[in-house]
Amino acid sequence: MKKILLLLILLASCSPLPQTPIAGTVDLDNLQPLPTPPDQQAVPLRVAIAAVISPKGTLESYSPFLSYLEAKLNRPIELVQRRTYLEVNDLIEHGEVDLAFVCTSAYVEGHNTFGMELLAAPQVDGKTTYNSYLIVPARSEAQSISDLRGKVFAFTDPISLSGRVYPTYLVHQLGFDPEAFFARTFFTYSHDEAIRAVAGGVADGAAVDSLVYEFALARDPSLAEKVRVIHVSPDFGIPPVVVSPFTRPQVKEELQSLLLDMANDPAARQALASMGVERFVLIDDSAYDGVRALMGVVPVSVSP
Amino acid sequence: MNLQTFLQRFWAIAGAVSIRTKILGIVLGFILLLGAGVTLQARYALTATMTAQLEEQSVSVSRDLAARAADPILLNDLLSLHDLLDETLANNPNVRYAFLMDENGQVIAHTFGGGFPLDLLPLNAAAPDEHHHTALIQTDEGLVWDTAVPILDGKIGTARIGLSDASMQMALSTLTAQLLLTIVFVSATGVLVAVFLTWILTRPILALVNATQAVAKGDFTRRVPRWADDEIGDLADAFNAMTAELAHTEELRRERESLRRQLMEKVIATQEDERRRIARELHDSTSQNLTSLIVGLRMMEAQCAHCPSPTKAADLRQVASHTLEEVHDLSMRLRPRVLDDLGLAAALERLAHEWQSRYKIPVDVVIQLDERLPGEIETALYRIVQEALTNIARHAQAKSASLLIEKRGGSVRAIVEDDGVGFDPSAQRGERHLGLLGMRERAELLGGALTIESSPNRGTSIFIEIPLLPQPSNLPTF
Repeated sequence: MKKILLLLILLASCSPLPQTPIAGTVDLDNLQPLPTPPDQQAVPLRVAIAAVISPKGTLESYSPFLSYLEAKLNRPIELVQRRTYLEVNDLIEHGEVDLAFVCTSAYVEGHNTFGMELLAAPQVDGKTTYNSYLIVPARSEAQSISDLRGKVFAFTDPISLSGRVYPTYLVHQLGFDPEAFFARTFFTYSHDEAIRAVAGGVADGAAVDSLVYEFALARDPSLAEKVRVIHVSPDFGIPPVVVSPFTRPQVKEELQSLLLDMANDPAARQALASMGVERFVLIDDSAYDGVRALMGVVPVSVSP
Repeated sequence: MNLQTFLQRFWAIAGAVSIRTKILGIVLGFILLLGAGVTLQARYALTATMTAQLEEQSVSVSRDLAARAADPILLNDLLSLHDLLDETLANNPNVRYAFLMDENGQVIAHTFGGGFPLDLLPLNAAAPDEHHHTALIQTDEGLVWDTAVPILDGKIGTARIGLSDASMQMALSTLTAQLLLTIVFVSATGVLVAVFLTWILTRPILALVNATQAVAKGDFTRRVPRWADDEIGDLADAFNAMTAELAHTEELRRERESLRRQLMEKVIATQEDERRRIARELHDSTSQNLTSLIVGLRMMEAQCAHCPSPTKAADLRQVASHTLEEVHDLSMRLRPRVLDDLGLAAALERLAHEWQSRYKIPVDVVIQLDERLPGEIETALYRIVQEALTNIARHAQAKSASLLIEKRGGSVRAIVEDDGVGFDPSAQRGERHLGLLGMRERAELLGGALTIESSPNRGTSIFIEIPLLPQPSNLPTF
């Protein structure tokens, strides 16, 4: 009997493990062409959002807005993001997106190159202007841009006004090229990433969008212990909402009135709050003349 | 088949083989059983561990992929996505495939190359709020742990990777092969150990067997060494004690036998001496007196021819003469003088002659002796032949008999045969048996042998052979 018992124990230990049931069988070598996605019923409205903040941050911030837009227009919305401002500008230029949130300098550039059209501007704290903040790590002793000589500097986007053009302008004022002034520079392609680079000590300094900075600070107050603002630029025209030259006038008008009415629509409150915007207002191209002047002084190369 | 039949059959096989095979069987059986058990257990444990590891790895790799794929997906950076997938595949050898789906379930990028196994798509999915979802999928290449992880809570898609268990199977095979190799080596060692053990175990047993055979042949001097302090050592001790006891008993027996022989020799010697003395007395004294009596009676017969009783004297003389003959005869039978004076040949010829004339049975006597034999041999042979002839006369109902005595090599041989009714030598009891025993005893006392060949109605042959070489015997000469 003992032998039989032993045998049973042995057999029990050989039995298959108590494991996940097999979900199905598939032949991994049986490769077939992927089916083409089914045609969408309605033509989606394509919305581009320049990577002022990181793609993930953008998605989080703009999702409620896009959903609101979708509901209001009764039309699917497709979010399009690109790493650089210039790529977004390209999309607008060729009519591949209908609506775009662009950076100030990208608008100036796009308006200049292919006639990018202003639709509206967000109003934050009652203003339609913003600034470039020069930030350093909280423990840094730097008091001005001149103290950052020989340090590592993080640019945001190659054509960002607040993140590249303005700090370059400041360095030029000191009589240097950024490449010579800083030990090393790099692009983070978004402002929240630049803040993160400074907060993490990866960069000794960076220039960022004041709106993004305040928004980030509001969301994460502990940031104030890591990052310090040492310089505030003069006011610049706020990054606007634009349309492509190819956007149909009816659509343009519909979108414009929708944006302007958002402040009056309780359903839009969350969408606006998520973006950190009070309301959308009309804005004139002349609001960006100051920026044009600055960009005239600092020729911005597209590549670092 | 019940247990008892099984055990019987098992014992029929196991009991028939040598101890060496038994020990080999025990050692090998134990090693193989242990090896098999350990292999199974190790495989089981390894499978459990590696399965858990694979599942964990599947989750961590796909979580990593999902995290890193978010930005490229949002930026529609397909090249980066492909690079990311290729990198994932390259950095994780266990990953069989990886692919990314958008929020609508459309595959954005994958690692399959030319096409896509569409059957794979519905087999696993992760809900937006799930951390991950793992499913086990049977593929043509073995089992695959497929883990799906939602990217950005499923808003922009799902990352899925498949971890093949090929590496696990390989590890299992390697382990099994190594263990089996170990078992083979251990078995080989086990065989050597078993052979050594067998040698240790069987050496004392074989020594015991040899000693037992020697003891059976009467060699009580053999002792078995005590190889070890175990049961076999005890057996050796017991055997040695038994042998010593047997040797002692044998010595006693020999002593008694020797005593018995001496006694027997003494008895026979005394008997012969007594017979010789009586025979001489009868011959010398009684015969002389009887002769004197006969002479006196004859004189008396002649002197008183006129006496009233001359016939009486003649009668008395007749009686005396008859008595004298009887005395002669008695003396002769007790101890023939001729045996002492002329030797065995003459004595036997005379014995045969008298026997023949008394019993009217013809005896063919052939005696080939060129010289006198030692006295004790002559006496013994004479008495044996005398007893044999007496037996023939009493029991055989023979028509004829023959007697052959010859000296051959270093011994003297006697054959007494008759054509009588015969008997079964092994079934003899009583007086006749005692007679036969006496004959044999006499022969054996002289280191000789007596053989009787007989069967009912086939006559009887008695063979006696007595060596002439000097015997280690303390028999007195008589």
